[in-house]
Formats: sequence, structure tokens, C-alpha cells
Amino acid sequence: VAASNVASRRRSGRRRLGAIERRNLRLGLLFIGPWIIGFLAFLVYPILSSLYFSFTDYSGFGEAEWVGLSNYSRMISDDLFWKSLGNTFYYTALAVPIGVVVAIVLALAMNQPLREVALYRAALYLPSVLPIFALAFIFVWILNPRFGLVNHVLNILGFDSIDWLGDPTWAKLSIVLLAQLGAGQYALVFLTSMRTIPTSLYDAAKIDGAGGWRQFRNITLPLITPIILYDIIIGISLGLQVFTPAYVMTAGGPNNATMFYVLYLYRNAFRYGDMGYASAMGWVLLLVSVVLALAVFRTSQRWVHYEME
Amino acid sequence: MSFRLLRADPRAGRAATHRPATIALWCVVSILLTSCAALGIGGDDEEGAEGGGNEIVFWSSHGQPDIGYFEDMVADYNATDPDSPVRLQRVTGEETDVAQLMTAVRGGTGPDAYLLDRFTVAQRAEAGLLQPLAPYMEEEGGVDEFESRYIDFAWAEALFEGEPYALPMDTDTRALYYNKTMLEDAGVDVSEFDPANGPMTLDRITEISEQVNETDDSGAYTMMGFIPWYDQGWHYTWGFDFGGSFYDPDQCQVTPTDAEIQEAFQFLYDYANQFDPKKVQSFLSTEAQCTGPMTCEAIPPAQHPFITEKLALNITGNWFIKTIEQYAPDLDYGVTYIPTPSDRQDQPSTWAGGWSVVIPEGAQNPDGAWEFIQWWAGEPGQRAYYEKNAALPTLTELLGDESLFEGNLKLFGDLTDVAESRPALPVGALYWDELTAAQEAILLNRDQPAAVLEQVESRVQPQLEEFCPLQ
Repeated sequence: VAASNVASRRRSGRRRLGAIERRNLRLGLLFIGPWIIGFLAFLVYPILSSLYFSFTDYSGFGEAEWVGLSNYSRMISDDLFWKSLGNTFYYTALAVPIGVVVAIVLALAMNQPLREVALYRAALYLPSVLPIFALAFIFVWILNPRFGLVNHVLNILGFDSIDWLGDPTWAKLSIVLLAQLGAGQYALVFLTSMRTIPTSLYDAAKIDGAGGWRQFRNITLPLITPIILYDIIIGISLGLQVFTPAYVMTAGGPNNATMFYVLYLYRNAFRYGDMGYASAMGWVLLLVSVVLALAVFRTSQRWVHYEME
Repeated sequence: MSFRLLRADPRAGRAATHRPATIALWCVVSILLTSCAALGIGGDDEEGAEGGGNEIVFWSSHGQPDIGYFEDMVADYNATDPDSPVRLQRVTGEETDVAQLMTAVRGGTGPDAYLLDRFTVAQRAEAGLLQPLAPYMEEEGGVDEFESRYIDFAWAEALFEGEPYALPMDTDTRALYYNKTMLEDAGVDVSEFDPANGPMTLDRITEISEQVNETDDSGAYTMMGFIPWYDQGWHYTWGFDFGGSFYDPDQCQVTPTDAEIQEAFQFLYDYANQFDPKKVQSFLSTEAQCTGPMTCEAIPPAQHPFITEKLALNITGNWFIKTIEQYAPDLDYGVTYIPTPSDRQDQPSTWAGGWSVVIPEGAQNPDGAWEFIQWWAGEPGQRAYYEKNAALPTLTELLGDESLFEGNLKLFGDLTDVAESRPALPVGALYWDELTAAQEAILLNRDQPAAVLEQVESRVQPQLEEFCPLQ
């Protein structure tokens, strides 16, 4: 420890802390103390114990029995594990890009120079503050094959009715649709980012004869790419954890079409009392998320523009 | 530590510089106090959190109408002036999903008594979630005394490794409900359905169903005769109906690929195929909020397609008598045996299930809970549940009382003699879910019966083997 202290001091060229700084440090630590305690007790401790339990046979009660890697090797031969992983990828691959587009469109709508824009902003943001649980219940009605609003519109446009939740091909798409009701959250972030773009850029573009699309394509879009990156990273992380809509609306059906990874994990943990297997699944999901996030970061150098001189 | 920090700096002006430290200190103190209160460290005053000190907290995951009956029954119990009054709480969960119970018990905030689907008792006992009841029974005449009071299959379901972990509260059987008005409107002679004629054949029921079905201009069903898998038309229902066996106790082996179960699944496959799986599913999605053939939302009873007269024939249990009484008192209906294959008409079939009441580990008031569950699963509770929900008793004495089984309920009572029961395995919930998934796949005509049933075996048997040999 001493050696590394010396090393770090040498590297940063830091001097010893003065009395005031020490006091500030102590105060600072005291201020974030509750958070540190919470972080250690409610995040670090459960995370580490789940790592331990992933190597055991454990029902949640009694003694955990060490079984080595067998929970991990069981996944390889578990069809439903692969199916749930596939469903989750499918969902994420659709929900994330669609989510970005919807959020940007909403943000553009919220950014119009209109007097009553505050009203539109509130209306577009409103679904995001509703609990997903409540939205899911409403969605079941909106998607009702015979009496639902969505099919009613489809029929007017001359399309056939769709059994949105009961047909394995459509069930996942229904949940992708549902996710878009939460797009207001991201739209606000995009909106904030759009508002920081200097108007002089648009003025200059207009003088050069750029229309609305050119302005969006060449000014707005490049300058909000950091937010798009943020949105994609968060979206992937949340997409891989999709749970509530399937839990509420479809229970994983029909024919396991909406059996998402976390839903299957939950089943193993709380229906079958197999905490060991569920913990192992949790860790695999973490690895998958990290790999995907890293991959996105890698590509981001090519398309994200930071306003750095 | 914090106090030293306050005093350590004499240079600091009182108000200005102490304020951040004081605030931080208060934050820490208040959080510590809150957590102490939550953990019960603060002393013996736990009444604040849970209400009355000796109260029994009783959880059920039932929805309406059952939870309403339970509220009345708890009120009945509390009216007997027990040492510990009971407070009923509805919690999330379903037959095979006890997440809230598990997390609460693990966190030390579990209930004193819980209503558990009886066929999962072995599984939850194995997990260590339930208290063994033998020590309590010792003081009341011993385990044998309790065993002698209950019907055999119900008692067997309450055991794990030969030890009782639950008291059986009720049982149920399944039969075919038929809507006389709808059948007559479709030109069917309802006297065919008289149970005195024995079970009808599946071929005949299929014909009748076709007669009742109605479609709109787009070809979507607006009314249907019979959907064999809706409501209580489970894999077990049809497997037993075809004479199948789901478990071989000698080999400690689940047997979903049993020839008769395959035949049953083939019947379901063909039936779905005949009426177009997508169209039937669309009907179920519309009329019963089902998101899969076997995945239906718990809808309000008033929206049940048999109650709304969209479905003329429906397999369900004895409790439905009371549901109809409450939600569609004018419905003209009868009950008969579940239809059988033509070579098994002399062997009416059904299966019996039912609930049980357990004392979870970590119960704050286990002695009070023991008093209560004896009442609940004893004569007063069973009689009350019979009166409210037409529930079949598990007490030999009550089940033998023929005066209790009149009208439509008589058939259900009679069926207890031939009823099968699900194998009470420590992987019972998994087996159920896997069979359900398999049934869903064939009902959508996505897979063939043999393939899906083999998959059930390959997924369940390895999990079961961890417990073999079973006592």
C-alpha cells in the first residue's frame, strides 16, 4: 500500500493534504457516508454474494452446496436459456434503435418554436411517468384483437386484424411498441442537448441555403451524437433486462415467444427455488452487457462528435 | 468519531462552519435510526410495524372472488375471540410463483400463515421455506391423529419425506359445464348431456362444438362451442382423461412421454388444427384476455366467456357453481363428466387438487398460527369454505356427508372417488410449467406431441434426479 501511495504521489505530483483539505475530505466522506453504506450493503454485498451463489446449489434457505461450474455448464444444454437469450437480443435489437428514433422525433416536436410548446412537451412526456405496470394493463386492452384501438385503426386502413399478444410472431413486437411509451424520458435528454446547439450555426446554414432536413442532418444530428451514444448504452442495458411487460402481459407466452432472459431467471429463482442457477444467469447477463457496451464504445469513435477544440 | 470532528476545530465559527458537519451528522444518525427500527434493534416494541402484538399475519395470493370469501372466513375466526386475531393480506403470486413469500421469509418479514397450492408443498418444504408441523401435532394427539382425519391423497400431498408440512384445506374436481340455452339455440338436444348417460365422446363434443361456433364477416369466431384447453383443460386433465400416467414412483421417473399422454396431446393438436389455432387463439385473446392458449390473465369472473355466454362448454371445477351463482344467476346450465375417447366411456375421469395452509419459517407467532390453521383446515373453516365457494372438504367426515352434495355439486362430490391427483414432486412447479409450455406449443400447432413431451422429460428428469429416491 505504501509503495503504491508513493507511486501515485509521484505520478500526480501531489503534496500532502493540508489541514483544511483533510477536514473537507472528512466532511465530504461524512456527507456521502450514507450513500457509501447503502452502496456497500445493497449493491456490493448482494453482487458479491450472487457471484458466490452462482457456484452453489442454493434454494434461498439453508446451506448453499458448492457445485463448482455446473450451473454455468447447465446453461449450455438448456434450450430455454438460449431461447430466452435469443428473445432478449431480438427485443433489444429492435427496441433500442426504434427507441432512439422515436425519442429524437419527440424531441424535435418538443423543440418547435410555438407558444403552447410547454403543453406538447407535457403531453409527450406524460406516458413516461406512468408506471410500466399500469401501461402494460392498458396496453392489453389497446391490443385486444377484436375491440382494441390498434386493430380498429388497422381495419380502417384496410389491413387484417392482428392477434398482437396471442400470436408468437407479434408478441415481441407488441412489447417493443409498449417500450416506446417511455421514450419521453430520452426525448427530454435529446431536447436539452438540442437547446445547447448555438443558433448561430443554424443562422449560418440558412444563409448558405440549407433547408430543414439539411440543417437537421448536418448540424443537429452530429451535435446530439453523444446523447445518442448514451441512449444506446442505457437502452442496451435496460433492453437486456426487459421483464415487466412480459411478466404482466404474457407471462412469457405464447409458446415462450416473450420468455425474456430476466423472466426466465426470475422463474428459476422464485418458482423453482434455484437461486444458484439464477445467480449464474445473472452473471452471464452482466458479461453480455459489458461486451455489448464495449462494442458500442469501440464503434462510437467513428460516429460520435464531441465538441472539443 | 463525528463528535470529535465537531470539537476538533476550535477555529471554526459556530454557525457558519458547523452547519455542514451538523447536517451530515444528522443524516447519518437518522439513517442509522431508520435502519435500526427496520431491523428491530431499537427494543422490544415491534407492535408499531405489524399492528397488534400477537396478531397473526395471513397471506393469500388469491384474487376475486376467493379473497372475498377468505375475508369473511377470517372475520368468522376472529369472532371466536381467539388469543391471536388474524389479519388477512392479499399478496402477489400464483400457484407456482411464491416470490413474495420467499423474499419476505428470507428478509425476516414473512407471514405467520400462508395459503399454498398443495401440490407444491413438497417443493417448498424441500427448499426450507416451511415449518414441519409434527412438533405442533404432538401436543394434539400426534401425527397419526391428523392423518386419520383427512382423505388420503390430500394428506399425501401435504407431506415431504413422510413429514407433514401443511394442513389440507379443500379439494376440488373438474367436470364439463354446459350452457343449455346456447346449445338449444344451436339445435342441440341437451338431454344428451345428462350425466346419467355417462361421459360423452370427444367426437360427439367436437361435432356439437362445430354446430355452436359462430363467426363474423372476417371469419373471426364470435361464439364458440368448446375449447378443450381453456380454463381447467390442463395437460393433467387430458392426460388422465386418456388414461395416462405422469410419474413412475418405482423408477423415480417422470413419464410425460407415456403413450396415453401422447394420445391426449394428439387430440388437442388435432382439435386446434380443425378449428384453426390462430382463430381460436384470437377468440381467447378477445374474450378472455389470453396471451397464449395456456396463458390467460386473471380476468374478473364477470368477464369469463362462459359467464358472458360466448362459450357453451367449459371444463372447470366445483367452485364455478358459486361463481355463476354470483355473477350470472340466471344462466341456464348443467354439469356432466369430462368427455372421453370413445373406448373409455365407461371410465369417467377427473383430477383433484386443492389448497393447503402452512406456517412459513420465521413466523413471528407460530403458536397462534397453529391454532388458526387448525380452525381453517378443520371443520369450521372447511364448512365455511364449502358454503361460500362450494369447496369440497378434505376432512373424511365432511366429504362423507352426502347431504352436503346436492344439485350440480353432487357430480363433483361423486367424482372424488375416481379422481386422480398430480404427483407431489419436489419439482412439481417445474413439471407443471414445462407441461404447460409443451401444451402451448402443440395448441399453436408449432410442434408435434412426441417432440414436446420428450423435451419435458429431458428438462424435468435431471432436476428430479437430485432428489431420488423419493420417500
